[in-house]
Amino acid sequence: MGGLQKKKFERGSATNYITRNRARKKLQLSLPDFRRLCILKGIYPHEPKHKKKVNKGSTAPRTFYLLKDIRFLLHEPIVGKFREYKIFVRKLKKAYGKTEWSAVERLRENKPTYKLDHIIKERYPTFIDALRDIDDALCMCFLFSTFARTGKCHVQTIQLCRRLTVEWMNYVIASRSLRKVFLSIKGIYYQAEVMGQLITWVVPYQFSHDHPVDVDYRVMATFTELYTTLLGFVSFRLYSSLNLVYPPKLDSNGESEPKEESEDDYAMNSESYLEKLSALSASLARVVSSADEEEAQLDQFPSEGEDMEKMEAREKELKQQEAQKKLFEGLKFYLNREVPRESLAFVIRCFGGQVSWDKSVCIGSTYDVTDETITHQIIDRPSVGKQYINRYYIQPQWLYDCVNAKILLPVEDYFLGVTLPPHLSPFVEEKEGDYVPPEKLKMMALQRGEKPGNEQEEDEEEEEEEGEQEEEEEQEEDDNGDEEDDEEEVAEEKNLKKMEEQRSQGKSLHVKVTPGKLKVENKARLEQEEKAEEKRLAIMMMKKKEKYLYDKIMFGKKRKVREANKLAAKRKAHDDSEKAKKKKARK
Amino acid sequence: MAAARRLKRVAISQPGFLTLNPKVTPTDLVSSRRKRVNKNKKKNWNKYSDVQDVEEFLEDVRHQERTTGKGKSSRPLRIDLILQHDSLVAPPKDVLAYQKPNAKKLRRTAERAEKLAANGVVPRSKKRLLNRTVVDRTSKKTETEANNNPERDFYDIWGQETKDLGEPWYLQQTRKKLVKRPEKLNEKPSVLPAVEVIAPGGSYNPDFFSHQELLREAHEVELKKKKVEDKLERQLAYNKADTATEETILREQVEGLVEESEEEEEKDAPKEDGEEVAVGAIAVADKKTERQRKREKAEKMKEQQRLTERRQTEQQQQLFQLRSIKTSIKQQEETTQIRQKRRKAKEEAQKAQPRRLGKLKFQPQDMEVQLSDELAGSLRQLKPEGSVLMDRFKSLQKRNLIEPRERAKFKRRLKVKYVEKRAFKEIS
Repeated sequence: MGGLQKKKFERGSATNYITRNRARKKLQLSLPDFRRLCILKGIYPHEPKHKKKVNKGSTAPRTFYLLKDIRFLLHEPIVGKFREYKIFVRKLKKAYGKTEWSAVERLRENKPTYKLDHIIKERYPTFIDALRDIDDALCMCFLFSTFARTGKCHVQTIQLCRRLTVEWMNYVIASRSLRKVFLSIKGIYYQAEVMGQLITWVVPYQFSHDHPVDVDYRVMATFTELYTTLLGFVSFRLYSSLNLVYPPKLDSNGESEPKEESEDDYAMNSESYLEKLSALSASLARVVSSADEEEAQLDQFPSEGEDMEKMEAREKELKQQEAQKKLFEGLKFYLNREVPRESLAFVIRCFGGQVSWDKSVCIGSTYDVTDETITHQIIDRPSVGKQYINRYYIQPQWLYDCVNAKILLPVEDYFLGVTLPPHLSPFVEEKEGDYVPPEKLKMMALQRGEKPGNEQEEDEEEEEEEGEQEEEEEQEEDDNGDEEDDEEEVAEEKNLKKMEEQRSQGKSLHVKVTPGKLKVENKARLEQEEKAEEKRLAIMMMKKKEKYLYDKIMFGKKRKVREANKLAAKRKAHDDSEKAKKKKARK
Repeated sequence: MAAARRLKRVAISQPGFLTLNPKVTPTDLVSSRRKRVNKNKKKNWNKYSDVQDVEEFLEDVRHQERTTGKGKSSRPLRIDLILQHDSLVAPPKDVLAYQKPNAKKLRRTAERAEKLAANGVVPRSKKRLLNRTVVDRTSKKTETEANNNPERDFYDIWGQETKDLGEPWYLQQTRKKLVKRPEKLNEKPSVLPAVEVIAPGGSYNPDFFSHQELLREAHEVELKKKKVEDKLERQLAYNKADTATEETILREQVEGLVEESEEEEEKDAPKEDGEEVAVGAIAVADKKTERQRKREKAEKMKEQQRLTERRQTEQQQQLFQLRSIKTSIKQQEETTQIRQKRRKAKEEAQKAQPRRLGKLKFQPQDMEVQLSDELAGSLRQLKPEGSVLMDRFKSLQKRNLIEPRERAKFKRRLKVKYVEKRAFKEIS
């Protein structure tokens, strides 16, 4: 008796976690600022193992952070900058309200800004750590560079992203590190090998599309802020590892420069440099211009535990890689207008080929379509006008398939108008016993040097997806009976309105006492009313959780019905207007 | 009334207005009466008083003053006469005005400074002023320093030697030491890779079987959705037989009130049996006698003996059952191992799942798949499906970097009241 009694929730996991609102109050920041800080510093919410213990007995879903992480956040100097910014906004609003324009200018000139360099150094202490996380950064930067420059997110961010993506692509070209490309319905996936790390990123297609509404732009913008800084530093390091000048400059000797007059047509002077760089057609300047020296072949000694066989295998691999890097060397390509220029130029230059396009498409085209030394012309149309003799006219999928197969595939399968072979994914690794598509087998045979004997063509029978269509269609639950009822009521209303008008105009109503009409009880209507009532009863008796689910489903359905109705109405309006036009034309 | 009069006046003043009486002209009608004005009001001072003559006179006077010296009157002003000195005694000289303290010293230092300046020696204060750098006010500091400035500079952040600001002890005492980042924060919150490549069926020109595989997966997702909907429909289904008929309603209302003899007889028989049993159970127990106690003890001892004997024989027999015991133990171990493996696999799968980090559950996005008739024949005709932006957002949620979020709804604090316009009220 009399021993110290332990109170619940005072030690253990309950004290290790803190809720989001508590953390926010501890830091004295607003919620968007707190979110931004967590994203920048890399502090993520945790799901505790025993939620009941941490939440002090309740199971309500809450966001938890580790208390130690939040304590670490307290020492961050950026927190002060956030508070300064808040005060700056307040002062600016006041100055605007009092229409003190000089104060507004003065405040704007001294706007508080912050830099994220120390955060990058803290989160990625070594260069290899940063390289591991560069996938995400690349995807974000490529994504943001395709945004339209409306005011939704800072235009400067978009410009910075564009600059960084162009620099990255130029680096990959200079280092010849691209390995795999995959064209999917979502975007283009690339994989490159940089300093031993495999880096995968996705680039969306250049066509403009509606941006989804559900995405939180502020969160994405904060991530992009962090990632642009990271990518910039990584780019600097990569460029210096290749002895290239950073920020990149075009190599002025050797390449034939486009004339000065034609440059004005493309871009302003300030932007023309970036545009030329983004054309990816010229090579970059080096820090120390080195003539091509033959590197002395180092003697290779087998490392411990390796036999001669393994070493030979490794050597063979390296040789293959070297051969792969020079896949398109010596070939001259010309891109037609309708093919995706940037992606193809990138891929071609990565493997040593030369590429050009029509002058009016983009800046930086080196040779014209009439050049006789062009070996391949990439076209995506069913037919082409003038045909030169000593060049192949092929579809763009040939390039991507060659890159994935690491050899030059036969061109015949990719001529204009020919049904293309399927574009296989290089990211899938088939194990023994799995299905390997025949095209891939053919490709592997080609790689080994054998020529395919009989081309087995499989009939691609495409089954009709009946089941799916039915499920994807909406089951409309409008009762037809209700429509009839509505019509009757509308007629009655009209009658009443007429009577009111007559009364208001002072005329006496022609109302007489007439014998009553027998209203026939509509059986079908009664039945449906009963059904509806039963349904209502059943809904009342459902449990809360089930009712919630039901509401969600009904809401989704109603929304679909509304949209379908809207589309139908639009179509109808369009048809009516067409009819009216036709009538007028006839008259 | 005033409005009507105004209207008449406007009508009359229109050109071409004809009066009924030919002798009367429109101008007579308009200007017959002048409106009476109160000139004592401040409002009307400017409006209805004519000060043109006074203004002319004043303008004239001012003009004369501007051109000639004093205008009309050429007499000196009285105030000027008053302020003149009329005494013949000269005012005394103010000696202090001429006295300058330290005049000689100042003169001497100035001469010295001149001599030095002539020799080229610059005094110390001037030297310091000249050494001050000019503040660069032309460039906008904030724009160039901003983090998303497109022209920003990058440097080698990993190659620099650590800037040793000072000894660690000194830094700690002056509170300038940077806090070390805890090791746990460097762990990734999820094992999923940053970029998940789409299945081979998602190619823009896919291979037949992989495309079918992808369609099948999408199909299964749709099936699951349909199952949930069907479940709800089944719950809402109503059995016609349960509808309340008149008979059942009557019976319900009348329950317990009406005494029906048939039912009573049936109920009586089972009731009595029940009572008897109940009576038997309440009977009081007699006290145990000595004999009964002894008997019970002996029985207990016998029971125990039997049990020990049995145990012994069992142990002896187990020697012969070793093989079967072994097999049973093996089986148990196997089952435990299988269970352990299953649990581990479940844990691993759980790790790959997105954690529940907030109020909303993670909703995976719709699968990006194109139906067979939507597949494009060439890259030019390709219509992209799905958006990379949404994909990245969901990937961030899946990897537990942010909590799943929904668009904020517009909630009104006060209820909106709908009121019909008066015009519409008359109609409906």
